[in-house]
Amino acid sequence: MAVDYEPKIIAFCCNWCTYTGADLAGLNRMKYPENVRVVRVPCSGRVNPQFILRAFRRGADGVMVCGCHPGDCHYSTGNYFTRRRFMLMRELLEFNGIDPRRFHARWISGSEAAKFRDTVTEVTQLIRSLGK
Amino acid sequence: MTNEQKQTLMRERAAALMKDGAVSYVIGWRETRFPGKTAIFFVRDEKDADMLVWDEYTIPLTAKYLTENRWPDKKIGIFARGCDSKAINRLISDNQVERENLYIIGLPCEGKKDDRCLSCTQRDPLIYDELLWEPENATGTSETDLQRARFFRAEEVESLPTDARFAHWEDVYARCIRCYACRNVCPVCTCRECYVDMHRTGFQGKHHDAAENRVFGVTRAFHVGDRCIECGECERVCPMGLPILGQTQKIIKTIEGLAGTYEAGMDPEADSFLGKFDLDDKDTFM
Repeated sequence: MAVDYEPKIIAFCCNWCTYTGADLAGLNRMKYPENVRVVRVPCSGRVNPQFILRAFRRGADGVMVCGCHPGDCHYSTGNYFTRRRFMLMRELLEFNGIDPRRFHARWISGSEAAKFRDTVTEVTQLIRSLGK
Repeated sequence: MTNEQKQTLMRERAAALMKDGAVSYVIGWRETRFPGKTAIFFVRDEKDADMLVWDEYTIPLTAKYLTENRWPDKKIGIFARGCDSKAINRLISDNQVERENLYIIGLPCEGKKDDRCLSCTQRDPLIYDELLWEPENATGTSETDLQRARFFRAEEVESLPTDARFAHWEDVYARCIRCYACRNVCPVCTCRECYVDMHRTGFQGKHHDAAENRVFGVTRAFHVGDRCIECGECERVCPMGLPILGQTQKIIKTIEGLAGTYEAGMDPEADSFLGKFDLDDKDTFM
């Protein structure tokens, strides 16, 4: 493993909660690792499991899916579907030999800027330790 | 009752239905020029009914062929064993066919000469307009009678460590020729336009390598996994003989872990697991 290895992490963030949370983190001048690439989606329910496969296929070292807390969805029920889908998806990725620590799903609300920062930092460190 | 007697019954019944004009055609099986292989056969004429067969090799699933004709003029006659009836249930609940358009002739099955029949839990048809003969054991096959574990294929892989699992699937998908036979034959895979055929959207890369094949394999499994009736057709038709049933078995096994006993296709009213949600679903996300 090269000394200067930096992981590339794709984060799918829901427009109404996590993306706003990330924005708030920026407004508050919070520092978080630049390894994370945020992709804004209208709802975490928009995230097709195939997005994750494609991200891994194209060389991402880790993938995160972030959305509103259950009950807070802008579209009422989107994240309940997400919850089922990604509980299943994570098991399937593990079954396919992809380390489950490379895939994370988190609930981060629009006011939880610090949680966004902490989560991103923690995931980046974890994946950096896992290596390529 | 012997297979020959059952076959005669089937031929007579199909001929009678065609003669009455009750159905526009009847879907069954016929012999091919290869011994031990049967093909799906559409009885479109009364005199063709004599080509129908019923033996230990009548393996293919008839239900998928219902999706070829979504707005029939008359009813479609179809022979259905347990597995076919599960597929028909799924097609009805997915709004792919309408129950009123079908005339289902139930055939209690005695198990065929195919691997998948060793772990079959449903030999007797669940949904039918008439049963052509009485089931041999009225209770059906219970979980304990199985000659092989329900999730045998998933369990083969699960026991391996992470890297070995990756290597296992790498080996499988390196041999995959992406002929999409598994997609074409799957009775719950019913999109009119498949994402792999939309070459300009780039959902599925056209590179022919293990990584792209793996994306296809996992996506296919996820698309059908929660509705999979465990018929094993995908594995039967695979020209490379790849053990791909493990993917969907793993999905069903995970669903059972999350939400309790789950078997798709048992009820024509039932939603699929990912098509609904429960406020009390478990999650390990924080």
